Amino acid sequence: MRPASAIARQWDFRVSVTAIACNRRGNWIAATLGDGSVRLLPASDEADAPKLLPLHDGVSLSLQADADDHAFLSGGDDGKAFIIDPELDAPTLLVEHKQQWIDHVASSPEGLRAYSIGKTAHVLNAEGQPHGQPLTHPSSIGGLAFSPNGKRLAASHYNGVSLWWMNAKDSAPSRLEWKGSHLPVLWSPDGKMVVTGMQESALHGWRLSDMAEMQMQGYAAKIHSLAFTARGKYLATSGAEQVICWPFFGGGPWGKAPMTLGGSDGHLVTRVAPHPRDELVAAGYDDGMIILAPLDGRMEVMLQYPLAPQGCAVTGLVWNAAGDCLFAGLENGNLLLFTLASVSRAARGM
Amino acid sequence: MTDAKIPVTVLTGYLGAGKTTLLNHILSEPHGKKYAVIVNEFGEIGIDNQLVVGSDEEIFEMNNGCICCTVRGDLIRVIAGLLKRAAGFDGILIETTGLADPAPVAQTFFVDADIAARAKLDSIVTVVDAKHLPLRLRDSREAEEQIAFADTIVLNKTDLVSAEELAQLENDIHAINRFARIVRAERGNAPLEHILGLGGFDLDRILAHTPTFLHDEDEDEHEHHHNHGCGGHCQCGHHHHHHDEPKHERHDPTITSVSLRADKPLDPAKFEDWIGELRATKGNDLLRYKGILDLQGSDQRFVLQGVHMMMDGSNLAPWPADAKRQSRLVFIGRKLDEQALRDGFAACVA
Ligand SMILES: [Zn+2]
Ligand SMILES: [Zn+2]
Repeated sequence: MRPASAIARQWDFRVSVTAIACNRRGNWIAATLGDGSVRLLPASDEADAPKLLPLHDGVSLSLQADADDHAFLSGGDDGKAFIIDPELDAPTLLVEHKQQWIDHVASSPEGLRAYSIGKTAHVLNAEGQPHGQPLTHPSSIGGLAFSPNGKRLAASHYNGVSLWWMNAKDSAPSRLEWKGSHLPVLWSPDGKMVVTGMQESALHGWRLSDMAEMQMQGYAAKIHSLAFTARGKYLATSGAEQVICWPFFGGGPWGKAPMTLGGSDGHLVTRVAPHPRDELVAAGYDDGMIILAPLDGRMEVMLQYPLAPQGCAVTGLVWNAAGDCLFAGLENGNLLLFTLASVSRAARGM
Repeated sequence: MTDAKIPVTVLTGYLGAGKTTLLNHILSEPHGKKYAVIVNEFGEIGIDNQLVVGSDEEIFEMNNGCICCTVRGDLIRVIAGLLKRAAGFDGILIETTGLADPAPVAQTFFVDADIAARAKLDSIVTVVDAKHLPLRLRDSREAEEQIAFADTIVLNKTDLVSAEELAQLENDIHAINRFARIVRAERGNAPLEHILGLGGFDLDRILAHTPTFLHDEDEDEHEHHHNHGCGGHCQCGHHHHHHDEPKHERHDPTITSVSLRADKPLDPAKFEDWIGELRATKGNDLLRYKGILDLQGSDQRFVLQGVHMMMDGSNLAPWPADAKRQSRLVFIGRKLDEQALRDGFAACVA
């Protein structure tokens, strides 16, 4: 008899999954693939055959939930940004910059969309028209993120982060400075802190009220994936053999040791996905292992064992809004769905 | 050794030396391969249907505060983007600007784990213009550095100078860089087997090609030519250089090569201390180094290579039963104290 698998559904696209995202409404999943296409499927266990749409001539470099709460936003190395509405038969071209790459995209709940090309970020309003002048930075942008209320845009780059007010008349950003190359940038859910993952395998953060800085080190690799857990209690991060979760309560993260979840022998966490409501973090590894780890110290649940022989990396991991479906994308072209039902069935069978 | 990593070739050379001509020559040869080309400026790449990406030459210092420990931030961004593509190219060519320092390019492959996992630096190819090289060597530190870092030097526009001048140029080049292969060309038409797939940074290739770069001056002439496998009709001109040419208008090189040899096994601890100290204190002046060592207590050949402070080394293969066990090490660097290097290396003998 086969051991019960935690996998509820599985699709094989035969081309690497480069990223996956869930829309703001939380009811659709998009997966971009290494051939430039996108697959769309309902974010539930009703998920049927994913819908295939051709998207970029090259490949998507950044996939995010769109400002439109049921759509997605993708920027690619063909210089195009698209809005992908799962209910339409084709993506809608938002902008095109010939011979350039759209490295990063971001959207705000208020309808703004931002994208970056090298050192320059562009912001568009809900009608797709330029919202102010292009925003230039001292070096290439490593990550873009709107604040939770959509009033500010953070762009990370070499030696810091620039914060732009979206409604300001003057266009000078405030700069958060720290030496080194800053990549993904993240706001805390209350909008009071900004954190970046750095090329130098570290995290850096700023509390905006008093500019108190936080430095978190000891990672084995660059941190590509970082996210706050429900209600902003912990910051979960990739880049180590365990999921490193920094406490953002009781005075933390200053002077506090991180909580560590899961663990692997020689393999690194590539993606983290905190549960939208509960104190749980899902994490994917560079060898295909996927775990679901409670933050209260209980044992983690193995969702997928490392893939033999060399494994292949988990490149995307997202929950639906209800928190009952977890989708994982892998470099080998697999898209996996875990449901709370399939997970508890597997846990009982173990 | 099978290796699925994407090979990366770096083309350097000052303005007007013929880099773009060589690039177009590489792209237009009927080799059936497709290259992604990273350029600083679009314009003269005459080939459609190639993947051409623009990038700024962004030099990032690493957090250790050392001036030689730099990487190219734009390459990290662009190569990571290219690697998202499931298919579409067999290799990457990077064309640098005339004033570019090759070290940050090479160091990017030492430092960035994501890139190192999927791509590998194959070689640095420097194009020089036979007519203007003597002048460039006098007025440009970059021209000398680009020669120092090269695995292959394409000596271009050879039709514009006399045979004597050519011989002198090759002498001057070898005085700077002992292990570079010189390939003669008239209009960038160098044989591609001398440009691509060289494995200039592969430890196992160092082993396979021992005699071509780790030769002493006394063995220079005869060992040189039968080891690069180009057949009799090439224009590479290795065998044409003579060390007794008259010195006319010779530049006063600040960069030189020093080769060291030891016939008795080295004490591994002493060697590690010595090379560690050298890298820490003189790393900024050490441009490239390669070696094969006979370490006491080991039947394996220890192979190493480095750029500035960054070094890569491993026990690669047993000494062949019939081979003379001997340690050889070549440094290319600025202001090398040859006697101190000889003494230091000699003191490592067990
Ligand atoms: Zn250094
Ligand atoms: Zn030859």
